[in-house]
Amino acid sequence: MAQPATPVPRPIPRPFIRGIVTCVLLVAIGGALVVPIYARSLPKLGPFPFFYWYQLLWVPVVAVACWLCYILLRTKPAAQDGAGPGQAGPGQAGAQR
Amino acid sequence: MSHVNVVSFAILAASFLVVTLIGFAGARWRPAEDPMQLNEWGLGGRGFGTFISWFLLGGDLYTAYTFIAVPALVYATGAAGFYALSYTIMVFPIVFVFGPRLWSVARARGYVTPGEFVRGRYGSQGLGLAVTLTGILATMPYIALQLVGIESVLAVMGVGTNSRNTFLANLPLVIAFAILAAYTYLAGLRAPALIAFVKDALIYVTVIVAIIYIPGRLGGWGHIFAAASAHLKTVNPATGKPYGSLVVLPAGEWAYATLALGSALALFIYPHAVTGVFAARQRDVIRRNAAMLPAYSLVLGLIALLGYMARATPAVNAGVAAGYGNAQLSVPLLFQHMFPSWFAGVGYSAIVIGALVPAAIMSIAAANLFTRNIYKELFRPQATPAQETRVARLASLFMKVGALGFALELNKTFSINLQLLGGIWILQTFPAVVISLYTRWFHRFALIIGWAVGMAYGTIEAYRTPGGGQQHFGASTAPVFGHTTYIAITAVLVNLVVAVGLTLIFRAVRLRDGYDATRPADYSADAAPAVAPVTRGTVSAAP
Repeated sequence: MAQPATPVPRPIPRPFIRGIVTCVLLVAIGGALVVPIYARSLPKLGPFPFFYWYQLLWVPVVAVACWLCYILLRTKPAAQDGAGPGQAGPGQAGAQR
Repeated sequence: MSHVNVVSFAILAASFLVVTLIGFAGARWRPAEDPMQLNEWGLGGRGFGTFISWFLLGGDLYTAYTFIAVPALVYATGAAGFYALSYTIMVFPIVFVFGPRLWSVARARGYVTPGEFVRGRYGSQGLGLAVTLTGILATMPYIALQLVGIESVLAVMGVGTNSRNTFLANLPLVIAFAILAAYTYLAGLRAPALIAFVKDALIYVTVIVAIIYIPGRLGGWGHIFAAASAHLKTVNPATGKPYGSLVVLPAGEWAYATLALGSALALFIYPHAVTGVFAARQRDVIRRNAAMLPAYSLVLGLIALLGYMARATPAVNAGVAAGYGNAQLSVPLLFQHMFPSWFAGVGYSAIVIGALVPAAIMSIAAANLFTRNIYKELFRPQATPAQETRVARLASLFMKVGALGFALELNKTFSINLQLLGGIWILQTFPAVVISLYTRWFHRFALIIGWAVGMAYGTIEAYRTPGGGQQHFGASTAPVFGHTTYIAITAVLVNLVVAVGLTLIFRAVRLRDGYDATRPADYSADAAPAVAPVTRGTVSAAP
């Protein structure tokens, strides 16, 4: 009872997809990790030195990158049809609250 | 209680009351079939979808550290304090990669803590215990940091007595913490999960209003940056160097990058973050949240800028100077001087409730660790789920008392260093917790010795580092080969080198390896889609 629902295996995405995801995530991390990219005050955006607006801008860029990778890696559970008897639960399966 | 602003105080007291009621109501939210399961008290039934997880993780990860210590650092040192933004940018791609694997193996094997995973992966009681003790040790100062955040708000409000007795002087803090302890005891993770909705709403409202309203009152962003720059250029008489800079200087780049990377690698192996991850209903919830949680990082960046606004406000500078140069007071003082008192009350509430949510989750996480990895592992292997839950509840109380002691006894000037010390320790479990998700190559004893060496090295280096007027534990960066580097990064590299070297030796002499209780399929397992355990207010027909 303490053990939660029986886990179902998922197919592993193709190597090509995994390669793209790796690159996207590395660029996302690198854009924040490589400080010399943004340790400068010009060009300014209004009164904001580059250092500030670049980092604030990089936040949504990384968010979009993660979402893209999520879409790329999304796979259907392998054993969806035979997941178990009597567990239809219509409307519950994908409902995210 | 002199000079207390009645309006601000009333708003804070009212929000605290509302949150207390919500906390106790948490015990009845998404009711469990059997509440005396550690899964239920300690992980909220592992049933949180993307939406609730977003609030829970956001409320969990962005703590008083965010609202008090980061702007305090920016206020005092300028651009160097912005490493926190860089850190919260990097953390999400990192957790995107390993978070789902950790979630899957925990779900497949019924693990509640990272210590249990390591124990199962290596068949090593010692390694599990090392991870557990590190987790508890790193969490304690982190909870204390939340208290320091609450304290600085209370100090600015003038709440508290002037008694010399530490306990009496901090009575409001002690009472607030006692109430928090009570509803956490009853409702477990459900309480902070519900309160997180209030917290996040308050934070977003406060920050959006602050970022739009305050610059107008201060004469615009141009003036704010100019005032900050003027201060940062002046020479600090204590060090003979400028206070800081508006843009990170080449000499500071390495420290900035390693602090950000080290903190990012450490964040999701903290017990409270793992607890938030394990509470998710499905594997994809983690990835979706990695894409959605950066909204909070944006807020963190804006909050960091409050440090400059505080610097541009003469009344705040005077207030900080009156508080013995305690920069932690800068944001509460900024609210006090810039906002009408009712909205200052809203801002104070955001900080105080913002500290309560992570404090609750941290104490739950540490209690889970104690229960599964110490109590059950060493003392009562046959413990029933009900006994586990009772022990965990009591342990959460002890954690809070311990953290209170930590907060009241230690130097408060730079609470950020407390958190950074915890970061040094927790990162030493990275090889055992995260690298083990991908490979079983390391030998269990090599990992234990590597961990011990990393812990010792990190602690000694931190002890030897003077700064901020202190002889020891003054800062968390130290020079290595001419580069000022975050000690956690150096320590984990030493740790890894030792672990790799010893693994090669142990394999060569065929030292007996432990039994791996996990299977490769566990690491990509997902919850069966049709078994969404509990939806709002109704008990589903679980098998």
